[in-house]
Amino acid sequence: MKDLIAYALLGLGAGGLYALLGTGVVVAFRGSGVINFAHGALAMYSAFTYDELRHRGRIALPWFDILPTHTLNLPVHITLKHGPMPFVPSFAIALLMAVLLGLGCHFLVFRPLRNAPPLGKVIGSVGIMLYLQAVAVLNFGTENRQGESIVPNKPWRNFLGLGKAFQQNKLWIALFAALLGVGLWAFYRYTRFGLATRAAASNEKGATVLGYNPQLLAATSWVMASVLGAIAGILYAPISGLDASSLTTFVIPSLSAALVGSLSSVPITIVAGLFLGMLSEGVAEKLPTYGWFPHWLSSGIKQIIPLFVVIVVLYIRGDKLPVRGTISQLRLPRSPEPKHLVRNTAIPVAVVLLLVNIFTGPWELALNTSMIAAIMMLSLVVLVGYIGQISLANLTLAGVASFSVARFAANGKQIGLLPVKLTGLNLPFPFSAILAVAVATIVGIVVGFPALRIRGVQLAVVTITASTAITEFYFKNKTLVGQGAQTATPVRDPSLFGVNLGIRSDKGNHLTDRWQFSVFNLVVLVLVALAVANLRRGGTGRRFLAVRSNERAAAAAGIDVARTKLLAFGISSAIAGIGGVMFAYKATTLDLSTFNIFSGIAILAFAYLGGVTSVSGAMVGGMLTAAGLITYTGNNFFHGFDKFSQAIGGISLIVTAILNPIGISAGLQESAHAIAAKFRTRGGVTEILSGVSP
Amino acid sequence: MSPGRRDVLLNIDGLSTGYGGVAVVRGLDLTVHAGEVVALLGPNGAGKTTTLLTISGLLPILGGAITVFGESVAAMAPYQIAHSGLAHVVEDRSLFFDLTVQENLRLGLNGDRAGRAKAYERAMEMFPALQPLMSRQAGLLSGGEQQMLAMARALVSGPRLLLVDEMSLGLAPIIVQRLLPIVRKVADETGAGVLLVEQHVHMALTVADRAYVMSHGEVVLTGDAQKLAKRRDLLEASYLGSASL
Repeated sequence: MKDLIAYALLGLGAGGLYALLGTGVVVAFRGSGVINFAHGALAMYSAFTYDELRHRGRIALPWFDILPTHTLNLPVHITLKHGPMPFVPSFAIALLMAVLLGLGCHFLVFRPLRNAPPLGKVIGSVGIMLYLQAVAVLNFGTENRQGESIVPNKPWRNFLGLGKAFQQNKLWIALFAALLGVGLWAFYRYTRFGLATRAAASNEKGATVLGYNPQLLAATSWVMASVLGAIAGILYAPISGLDASSLTTFVIPSLSAALVGSLSSVPITIVAGLFLGMLSEGVAEKLPTYGWFPHWLSSGIKQIIPLFVVIVVLYIRGDKLPVRGTISQLRLPRSPEPKHLVRNTAIPVAVVLLLVNIFTGPWELALNTSMIAAIMMLSLVVLVGYIGQISLANLTLAGVASFSVARFAANGKQIGLLPVKLTGLNLPFPFSAILAVAVATIVGIVVGFPALRIRGVQLAVVTITASTAITEFYFKNKTLVGQGAQTATPVRDPSLFGVNLGIRSDKGNHLTDRWQFSVFNLVVLVLVALAVANLRRGGTGRRFLAVRSNERAAAAAGIDVARTKLLAFGISSAIAGIGGVMFAYKATTLDLSTFNIFSGIAILAFAYLGGVTSVSGAMVGGMLTAAGLITYTGNNFFHGFDKFSQAIGGISLIVTAILNPIGISAGLQESAHAIAAKFRTRGGVTEILSGVSP
Repeated sequence: MSPGRRDVLLNIDGLSTGYGGVAVVRGLDLTVHAGEVVALLGPNGAGKTTTLLTISGLLPILGGAITVFGESVAAMAPYQIAHSGLAHVVEDRSLFFDLTVQENLRLGLNGDRAGRAKAYERAMEMFPALQPLMSRQAGLLSGGEQQMLAMARALVSGPRLLLVDEMSLGLAPIIVQRLLPIVRKVADETGAGVLLVEQHVHMALTVADRAYVMSHGEVVLTGDAQKLAKRRDLLEASYLGSASL
C-alpha cells in the first residue's frame, strides 16, 4: 500500500501537466466552441521557443523558409544573443510566442471556420497540430532536449517517509495547477469578461444581441489557452524531455480530463487531470510488478486505466453535453442517394484497369495506397457520413485486422529474408482474412458502446483514448501479436485456387508491381463501395440517416437507436477491417507506427475533405491521402519539397476546410445542383436546394 | 400624438431580406419614432421575425436600407448595433440557461455604476416576480418566467429602441395580458421606441400606436392601431390573403 501511494505521487507531475493542458482545452472550448486537438502542439512550440532562447539566444518563428533560392529567404530565425539568455526575457518571449500562436489559431483558422460543422473545426485543429509538429522538426530538429527545471528541483530522498526519492518540481507543477484552477474559477465567476464568455458559450446569439462580440471573446480565450499551454509545456519539458511529438501527444489524456470536466468546469478538469496522471503514470507503473497481476495485461495498462475512468464517468453522468447555441451553423452535408450505379462503377473501374496497365513501380504502389485508403474512408462514410458518429478509432481497427490476418495466416516459416518467424494458425487465404475482419468487427462494436451515451466531438475524444489503449495493449502485446510485436511482423501473401494475389515479386524479397494484387485490390474496393452505396438505398441506410439528423425523433419514429448505432459501428469496423487486411497484404510487413493515432485522425480529415457523406467522397479522399495518387504526383513535380510535405499538408487541410466547409465532393455536387436549378423551373416554382427555412 | 414630429429611431426603406440569398421579405418600408409602440402583425411565414433579425444585424440585408438612430446598419456587426442602444428580445429568448437569473441580468447592464443601478431597479419594479428567483438557473424557470427574464434583460440595458419578437409564444393569454402593458409603459416612461411582433392581434393593438400587417413578405395594411382594431374585416382579409383590400 505504501508503495502504491508513493507511485501515485510520482504521477503528480504528469497529473499536473494533464490538468494544465486540460484547462487550456476547456478555456478554448468555452471561448470558441472548438475542441482543440492542437493544444499539446501549441504548448510544445512555446516550450521549444523558451528552450531555444535559454540555450542559443534565438527565436524561431512558427513558419519555415520554403523559398528555393538562397539569395531571397523568408526570415525564420531572429538571433538576440550568441549564447544562453537569462530566464526572465526567455520566459517572457516564450509567452509572447504563445500569444502570437493563439491569435494565429483564432484569426487564421477558427474565425474563418466559425460557421463550419463541428467536424470541420476538428479538421482545422488537426491541421494546426500537423503543421506545428512539422515546423518544430524543421526549426528545432528531432533530438530530445533536456532542459533545466524552472522551479526548485532538489530531490527529496525519503519523501513523506514512503521510502522513495521524489523530485520536487512534480509537486510544484501540481500545486501550480491547483492554484490556477482556483484563480480561473474565480475569474469566470466574478469578472465581466468571464461572465460574458460563459454566456457566449451557453448562447452565442443571446450574447450578441446584448452587445458582446463573440469573436473578441474567442480571440481572448485562444490567447489565454495558448499561454496556459506554454506555461504547462515549459514546466513539464524538463521532466519528460522536449521533442516535437511527446507534448503533442499529451493532448490525449488532457482531452480526457477536460471531458470529465464537461469541457466547462475548470476545477473538475484540474482534479481529473491530477487523478488521471497519478493513475496512469504512477499506479499503472507499479501494478504489473505485483504477482497477481496478469502478465498479458501489463502492456497498455497505462492507457486502459484512464480510458476506463473516462468512460465510466461519462456513462454514469450521462447528462446532456454542452452544446453551443450558435447563430448559424452548417450541418453535415446531405447524403445523396446513389444513382446510376452501373455507369458510376464501370467508368472508374475501366480507368483503374487502364492505370494498372500503364503504371509501374511506385506509381502503382501509390494507386494501391489510394485504393486502400478509399476502403478505409468508406468505413467512415458509414459511421460519420450516414449515422453521424465521429470516431477516430477506425485506423486502429484496421490495425487490429492487419495484425490478426498476419497471425492467423502465419505458419512459423521464414518469409523471404525477413528475420521474424511468426507462429500462427496457418489458415489459408480467405479464412484468415475473414477471421481477421471478424475480430476487427467485434473490437469495433465494443469501441462503439460508449456512443450509446456519448455524442458528437466528445465521442471523438473517447474513441481516440480507446485507440491509444488498443495500440498499447494489442499491438505491443507479444501474446496477441506474436514474436514480431514492436519490431516487424511479416504477412503471408494471399493466394486463391493456386493464384498468387500478393504484391511481393516472385523473384526475391523487394516489392514490385504485381498486377494481380492491384486487380485483387480493385475488386475488393468495388465490392465494398457497392455495398456502402446499396446500404444508403435501403431501409438500414434510412434509419442511419434518421439517427444522424435527430436521435430523439428517430426513437419516436420507432427506430431502436442503440441497436442501429451498434449495427453501424459493426458495419463500419468490418469495412475498416477489410481495409486493414488489404493494407497488410500491401505492406507485407507491419509495424505499429503505421497505425498511430495521428494517422488515424489524418484519415478522417482526408475523408472529410473528400466528402464523408458519399461513396464518391471516399474515392476523392483516397486520392488525397498521404502517399496516395495526388501527393505522389505532387512530389514528382516539386522536387526538394519532401521535407516540407507534412507542414504543407497541415496548411492544405486548414485551407481546404475553410474553402469547402462541407467537403470537396459535396461542394462540387451542390454547385452542380445550383447551376442545374438555375436552368430548371417546374411549373414556375424554382427548386430551392439548401435546406434552410425562414 | 402625432408621431411625425418626434425623432425617427428606426427607418426601413425598401428592405429585401431572407435566407441563403433568397428574399423572404420584399420592399418593406417601416418607421419607428421615439416613445412610440409599433406592432408588426401578420400570419405565420409573413417575414416578421426575419425583419427583426435583419434590423439587429443577425441576417444580411439583400436590398434597401435600414437606419437605426440615423446610422446605416449595413456595415455594422450585430454586437455594434446592440451597443448603439438597440435591444432585441429574440423569438427563442436566447437566455443563458446555465447561468443564474442574476447573472443573466448582469450581462444586460451597461454604462456607469449609477446608471446600471438605476436601470436594474427599474427593471425589478416592472418584473417583481423575478425578485425571489435571482439565484436560480435560467434553464429551470417556467416559460412565463423565462419571458420575463428575457424582457428584463433587454430593459436593464436602457435601450432607446426595443424589438420584441413573439413575447406571447407558448404563454397563457393571462400572462400575455400582464406582460404587454409593460411594453407600453417602457415607451411612455423612457421615450424608447418599440417594435412589437405579436400573434395576439387584438391585445397587441390595445397597446400599440400604429401597426403594420405583413403577408408573404410584403406590407399589406398599415395604419393607426385604434382604427385598425375597429376594422376587423380588413385584418381578417389581410391574414387570409384576400385581394379585397
